[in-house]
Amino acid sequence: MSGIIRTQGAQVGFNDLKLPGMWSRKIGKDLYEIFIGPQHPGSGHMRIVIRVDGDVIVEADPDMGYVHRTMEKLSEVRTWIKGIPLFERMAIHDACNVTLPYVRAVEKLMDIEAPERAKYLRVLLCEINRIAAFLYGFGIFGVFLGHSTMYMWPFGDREVWVELAEWLTGARLTHSYPVFGGVRRDVPAGFTDSLRKAIRYMRKRLEDYRKIFVDNPVIRARLEDVGVIPKNLAIELGITGPNLRASGVKYDVRLNHPYEVYDQLDFEIPVFQEGDAYARVWQRVEEIKQSLNILEQVADWLDKHPRTPILHDKFWKTAPPLYKKIFEETGRAKLGAVYAIMKVPAGKAYERAETARGEISYYVESNGGNKPYRIRIHSASARNALVYKYIVPGHRVMDLPAIYGSIDYFPPEADR
Amino acid sequence: MSGILDIIIKIITWPPLWQLIVLGLIVPLGVVIFILWFERKTAARVQRRIGPYHVSPKIAGGLQLVADLMRYMFQEVIIPKTVDKFPFIVAPLAALILSIVPVVAIPFTSIEAYFPIDMSYSLIISLALLTLSPLFIILSGWASNNKFSVIGGMREAYLITAYELVAVLAFLSAGAITGSFNLVDIVEAQSGVKWFIILNPLAFAAAFIGVLLSTSGFPFEIAESEHEVVAGAFTEYSGLVYGMNMGAAYLKRMIFSIMIAVVFLGGWKPYTPGEGFIAGYLVPSIVILVKATILMMIFSFFRAVYGRYRLDQALDIAWKILFPLAVLGFGLGLLEAYLGII
Amino acid sequence: MPAKPVSKQVPSRGGIFSKFKGNIEAIAIGVKFFFNPQRFTLIYPKEYIKLKEGYRGFIVLRKDKCINCGSCARICPAAAMRLIRLPFTDPKTGKTRMKLWPIINYNRCIFCGYCVDVCPTEALYHVPYHDVVYETMDVMDLDLEEFQKEPEWDTEKQGLPVKYVVDEKMGLVKVRIKEEGEKQ
Repeated sequence: MSGIIRTQGAQVGFNDLKLPGMWSRKIGKDLYEIFIGPQHPGSGHMRIVIRVDGDVIVEADPDMGYVHRTMEKLSEVRTWIKGIPLFERMAIHDACNVTLPYVRAVEKLMDIEAPERAKYLRVLLCEINRIAAFLYGFGIFGVFLGHSTMYMWPFGDREVWVELAEWLTGARLTHSYPVFGGVRRDVPAGFTDSLRKAIRYMRKRLEDYRKIFVDNPVIRARLEDVGVIPKNLAIELGITGPNLRASGVKYDVRLNHPYEVYDQLDFEIPVFQEGDAYARVWQRVEEIKQSLNILEQVADWLDKHPRTPILHDKFWKTAPPLYKKIFEETGRAKLGAVYAIMKVPAGKAYERAETARGEISYYVESNGGNKPYRIRIHSASARNALVYKYIVPGHRVMDLPAIYGSIDYFPPEADR
Repeated sequence: MSGILDIIIKIITWPPLWQLIVLGLIVPLGVVIFILWFERKTAARVQRRIGPYHVSPKIAGGLQLVADLMRYMFQEVIIPKTVDKFPFIVAPLAALILSIVPVVAIPFTSIEAYFPIDMSYSLIISLALLTLSPLFIILSGWASNNKFSVIGGMREAYLITAYELVAVLAFLSAGAITGSFNLVDIVEAQSGVKWFIILNPLAFAAAFIGVLLSTSGFPFEIAESEHEVVAGAFTEYSGLVYGMNMGAAYLKRMIFSIMIAVVFLGGWKPYTPGEGFIAGYLVPSIVILVKATILMMIFSFFRAVYGRYRLDQALDIAWKILFPLAVLGFGLGLLEAYLGII
Repeated sequence: MPAKPVSKQVPSRGGIFSKFKGNIEAIAIGVKFFFNPQRFTLIYPKEYIKLKEGYRGFIVLRKDKCINCGSCARICPAAAMRLIRLPFTDPKTGKTRMKLWPIINYNRCIFCGYCVDVCPTEALYHVPYHDVVYETMDVMDLDLEEFQKEPEWDTEKQGLPVKYVVDEKMGLVKVRIKEEGEKQ
């Protein structure tokens, strides 16, 4: 394979004519170019340009940017609190996970920390969202492989978790739950009992999924040895999330850089070695089981400890008695007027979290004003987009939906 | 007046017309409407949903398919400028007609007055006529002048070479057991419990999976899979021609199921046809159609349970598993004929 | 007690017998759900979900409690809440000055609930429903009079209220709510 420019092992350019300082690539004679475009039932909101030789894909080019909403620029003209509903819409089904690093970064700049009850509540909603996002990923994966039952069952089971989230926060998907200094609502009465019932139900349902999808010989034949990401290539390309852990790398933000109360909870990080699409499906099933364990421990903690304020003293100590009365009666922590005009001290902060799709990181810079100076987000799907360019060539056309679904790529999150 | 009525009844019950138009077109269309409703309801029940409901809530949404058919009739037929017009329009029509034609060679009774054509070689004739319609799917894919349609047509071409041989060999094993190509003799030989599904389960399994391969049944719904090629060879179609394409696949499945019911499930046994039109032609037809409908319901059930295979995996299954199975079934039939089991 | 990484393996491939067993298990669970679907579909609009009180639905103003501080318009992330100036005559002194009142544009509202949470006198509240229908876009830009009225909700007149309860066997169970608060 001469003429290919490599940088530390990964392939970044072609130099077929061997011209210095230039890339040149010979286009094959009998290649058929297909646009799996934005208006396609199998592509999501992105375009993948594939060049096919018969049935084998020779080149694949992801064409991202169809859902670019300029979130980073929009955040520069809005005050700090308005960024929370804005960034939520990157990956709306794990809303708490994608806004949590932003809230923590600003708290770091303000030098405050949320009270412990608020941290447990944030972890509660984060894990509920993680399970709902994994089920969404399974649903899309099932329908890409033609398995319509695996499309309807996870979306039906996701209703249980979305109903719980609605009971906790007041909205089904757009929670806007963490705020600077804590969270907005406390658990209602009877919530932890329903949560335990939902956990037992979900454990039973994972057994049903195994019978009809994961151990189905048709699905196993579609997924085994498809989209293999070797361990060193996964680290080089910067792939993250369950895709990385299914290739044998023991990395999870909750393990290596624990945040909130993850260092006080007892759970496992499953790591699979094979790296193909089938290992990624098993990886997600095992992670759902671990999230259920975390939720049980959080429910036990919340039951044991009585209700304490869920906003930091900086915002709660000077609150009028009406706020304290409403918090006592309904568990809703009202926000002070200072949130609308808040100024954050100057500085730079960097925070990261583990969403259902991988690691998301925020770089927040403030110059002392009431609007951010610069926010830079690197989301999980943006990191995972390199799979299309380097892993897909060599597979057949019908493997493309299998690889797409197994890495759980979400175009709005990649395009921000 | 009664003379004209008699003439009309005589024309309608003339065996070629009755068999081709009523038993071949009208009744399968009715059964297809039932089967599509059953497929949607079955998939909905397995998937914890309700399925068709709002059109006629009291009969569990049974008129939904009639509403869909009316929608197809009123929808605008868009013919893009870049297609090849004559094949574009002729191909669905030809596919529809040619998938119904094999029924003329299948006997629905044992009384000779009700045969449309001479039934001495009916097994071979019906199998030969069954292989005609897939070519028109490739033609409609080519005429659409669209990359996705061409890929869908090519997939169908690959699959044709795979399943034709399997289906033909599986059905021919029935001829091997009885030693004749006459479908009436094949049905007469299955008296009592000696249905060929029990005598030759290998050939039945090969024929069963062969039908799934040939009519885009799950898990082999490859030529029109929605997620790589948008609708395969039928991407550019809309309106009534789209309905015809989809209907042609289901009608072909119905005709195949009638063949399996006649060859493996005993035809019109245990009922012996009597005299007259009702006892001699109508009731045996109903027995065969009921058996075929039960088979179609089993095919529809697989939609809820399976995904779809990759193209090369489906071809692997056809050549590496089904073809030896069909050959073994044929050999088993020859062995049973040698041992004189019939 | 932090997390522990644990190395796992996918189940091995097995031969033709495990493929056969996989097929039989898949078909068996399909048949099991065919005879017992365990559905909890909502047949809307014959039934509708009576949402809980904390639901973030449409927003209504209580004018007598509003102190014209403008915090709700300042905090609205979507610029849906605006302030208008209306003259106000003080009955005691007779002087006229302008007061700021909030109005809302439902074309832009994202129902985040920040305005309700930031109001210092609890002058804004959520109604627990969201399926309100307007006919054109200009009608969705409410003025001060309309903002004080709860939006018209037709579903209540046409359907029966149900609510969903988390259940261990079925996931969610649809429970019909009787008018007197008695559940069956």
